[in-house]
Amino acid sequence: MKYIHSSSKWWMLASAALLLAACGDDTEEEATGGDDPDDSAENGGEEGGEISGDLEIQYFVGGYGDSWWKEIISDFEAEYPDVTVIEHAGPNINDEMRTRWISDDPPDVVYIDGAGSSETQMIEDNQLMDLTDWLDDVELEDGSALLDNFIVEPNRHDGQIYTLPLVFDTWGTWYNAGHFEAEGYEVPTDFDHFMEVMGDVQANEDISPFVTTGQHPYYFLRGMLYPAFASVGGDELLADIVTGAEGAWETPEVVEIMENVEQMQTEGFFDSGLGAFNHTQSQMNFILGDNAFIPVGFWLPNEMANDTPDDFEFGFIPSPMQAAGEPYRVVPDLRPLAIAENAENPDAAKAFVDFAFNREYGELFSEHTGAMVNITDIDLDGNENVPDYLISANEMINDESQVQINQLPHPMSADLEQPISDALVSLMTGNIGAAEFIESAEAAAASYR
Amino acid sequence: MTMHYILLYISVRFLKRGDHHGATKKSALLIFSLLYRSNARSFYDFYDLPMLNGLYLSFFEWSGSAGGRTFIGLDNYVQLFNDSIIPRTIWHDYFLVITKVFGIMILATFFAVALTQLRLREAPFYRVIFFFPNIMSVVVVGILWSFIYNPSLGIVNSGLEAVGLENWTQPWLGSETWALPSLVLPSVWAGIGLFMLMMMAGILNVPKNTYEAARIDGANEWQQFWKVTMPLIWPQIKNSILYIVITTLNGSFILVQVMTQGGPNNSTHVMGSYLYQQAFNQYNFGYGATIGVMILILSLITIMILQFFLRREKVEY
Repeated sequence: MKYIHSSSKWWMLASAALLLAACGDDTEEEATGGDDPDDSAENGGEEGGEISGDLEIQYFVGGYGDSWWKEIISDFEAEYPDVTVIEHAGPNINDEMRTRWISDDPPDVVYIDGAGSSETQMIEDNQLMDLTDWLDDVELEDGSALLDNFIVEPNRHDGQIYTLPLVFDTWGTWYNAGHFEAEGYEVPTDFDHFMEVMGDVQANEDISPFVTTGQHPYYFLRGMLYPAFASVGGDELLADIVTGAEGAWETPEVVEIMENVEQMQTEGFFDSGLGAFNHTQSQMNFILGDNAFIPVGFWLPNEMANDTPDDFEFGFIPSPMQAAGEPYRVVPDLRPLAIAENAENPDAAKAFVDFAFNREYGELFSEHTGAMVNITDIDLDGNENVPDYLISANEMINDESQVQINQLPHPMSADLEQPISDALVSLMTGNIGAAEFIESAEAAAASYR
Repeated sequence: MTMHYILLYISVRFLKRGDHHGATKKSALLIFSLLYRSNARSFYDFYDLPMLNGLYLSFFEWSGSAGGRTFIGLDNYVQLFNDSIIPRTIWHDYFLVITKVFGIMILATFFAVALTQLRLREAPFYRVIFFFPNIMSVVVVGILWSFIYNPSLGIVNSGLEAVGLENWTQPWLGSETWALPSLVLPSVWAGIGLFMLMMMAGILNVPKNTYEAARIDGANEWQQFWKVTMPLIWPQIKNSILYIVITTLNGSFILVQVMTQGGPNNSTHVMGSYLYQQAFNQYNFGYGATIGVMILILSLITIMILQFFLRREKVEY
C-alpha cells in the first residue's frame, strides 16, 4: 500500500465505499421488507368502525369479461370512499400473481377462476381465510342470511368454509336453436333421444354432430359425464368419482355410461379432429356449423361474441345423458370468491365480499355476462338485457321436475383429473374402448389414493 | 450493472494514469479483480444459483403456488423411475432430436450448396426466404402450423383433397399416431434458415483453387461435395448438430405446448412439456424440478456422446 499514490488511495476508498453501498442495499431491503406489525395499521383496516386503506383484488378475466367487476368495484369505492381498490386482473392473472402468493404477500380478495388457479390447492396450501364463523353474520339486502340463500352451498373442507361460490356456472350442451328449427331437428330430452337426433344430423348434413376440445378433455368429463353419473348415482357416486374411491369406475352404471360414450365414437358422432382442438377451435367449429352439439358452460356466447354470425341463435340444455323419463341433471361449476389468509386489509376484504353477494349485483352479473350468480330468487324474467337462453335455463334450473341439481364435494384434483382426461381423449378418438378406459381410470384413482 | 460501469470507469482512469505511475497499474489490476469477482458473482446468481435451486427443490414436495414445502428426500426420484409417462417423453424428445438433425442438416446443406455453387441470380432472395421463419417467434410458428394442420380448415387436408388423396387426410395433431411426426415438419421448417447460413459461411470460406485442383484431378460435382466441401465444412456441421440437439432438448416443449399440449393422451409430451404440466397444471413443482434435473443429466450425457462421435482430425489446407 505504501506505493499507492495519495489520490489513488482516494479512488480505492471511493470504490470500496461504492461496493459496500451496493451490498448494503440488499440487506436494508430485507430488513425492512419483513413482517412489520405496523404494516396493517398503515394499510388501513377498521379504524374506529370505518373501513379504509388499500384493498387488493385479484380476478381472472375470461369468457365473462370484466365489465361487471369494473362496475361493482366502482360502486364499492363510492360506498367506502376511504378504500382504494387496487385491481389485479387479466386472462393470465393467476400466473402473474403466483410469486405474490409464494412470498406470502397475497392480494386481499381473490376470485378463483381460470387456468393456473385451484381452489383445492389453495386450501391445501393454507392460503385462504376460514370464513365459517364470519359467514353466520353475513346477510343479503333483505336481511336474510346469505348462507340460507345460496343455490349451491359452499364447499366444506373438514367442516370449514374457505370459499364462497359466487358464480353459478353450469356445463350443458349447446346447439344452434335457429338452425334446429329450420332443419326440423328436435331438442334432445334424454340419451336415447340424443343419439337419435345426432343420427339425424349426421345423415342429413354429413357432419360429425358432436365436438369438444381434446386438449382439455375435462370439458367432456365435467360437461357430459358428471351429469350422466349424477343421473344414475346422485351426489354419492359423484363424490366417489371425485375422491377416487376404489371401484367407482367399475360400477355397472358407470360402465354402461362409458359404453354409451364408446357407442358415440363407433357411430362416428365425435368429430375425428377433436383430439387436436383447443377449446376455442372446437367452439369455432361449432359456430361455423361443422358440428351440431358442444358441451361448454354459460360463458360460451360471451366468449365467442366476436365470431358469432348474426343468424346464429344459441340454444342450451343440461347435457341429455340421463335415461328416458328421468329429469336432466346439472352439476354446477362454481367460481368462488375468497379472502387470503394473510390479507393485509381483512376488514375491507370482508366488506367487499359482503358487498358482492347481493341480488341487485346478481341480476347485473347476468346482464353483463350471460351467466348467473349463486344466489336464489334472482328474477330474470322480463329483463330485456338478459339473453333468452339464460332465462329459459334459469327457469329449468328452478323447476325440479325438469332439472335436478347435484353437487360435487369439491373439484376433482388435477392429479386425478389429468390421467382420466388423457384416457378419455383416447376413448373419444377411438384408440381404446370403454373397458380399457375404465381400467385406466381405476388405475389413476388407485395412484391418486 | 451500474456498479460495473462505475468500476470500469475507475479502472480505465487508472490505466490511463498508469502510463506514468507504476503504482496505479496495481490499483487498476485490483479494481479489475473486483470487477471480475462481481461478474463471477453475477454468473453465479444468474446461472448456477437457479440450477442449484432446481436441484434443491427436487427433494421437496411443493405445490409451487405457496410458501410452504416439505422435505421428502428421494421420493420424487422414486416417482420419476416409476412414472410410465417419463420413458415416453424421453423417446419423444430423442425422436424429435434425430428427425430434426437429419431433416435440418440434409436440407440446410442442400440449400447452402445450391445457393453458393449453382450461381443462382435469385440467391439473395432465397436466402431471405429461407431465413424468414427464424425471425418468427416459435409461438407464432406453432400457431401458424396448428392452422395448417387443422383437419377441416387446414391447407394440408385441403391440399390432399384437391389432388384426390382424400384417403390420406388425417386429424394430424389429433391422432395419437400422427401427432408426433406432425411436429417434425414445423421444427425443421423453422430451423433450416439459420443452419443454411452457417453452412453457406463455411462453403464460401473454402478456397476456390481447392475446387479447381479437384476438377483438374477429374472429380465430378458429387465427388467434390463429398471429398472437398464436406471435410472442410465439418466444424460447421458439427457445431450445427450440437446446437440442434441442445436447442431441441431444451426448447422443443414450446412447439408442443402451443400445438398439442402434450396430447392426445400424452402422445406428444416431451420432457419439457411434461415438466410444465407437472409443475404448473398439477401443482407438483418439486416433481417438476426432478424432471428438470433429469433433462440436465440427459442433455449432458447426450452432448458428451456426440462430442465423442463427432470428433474428427482437423483438416488442413
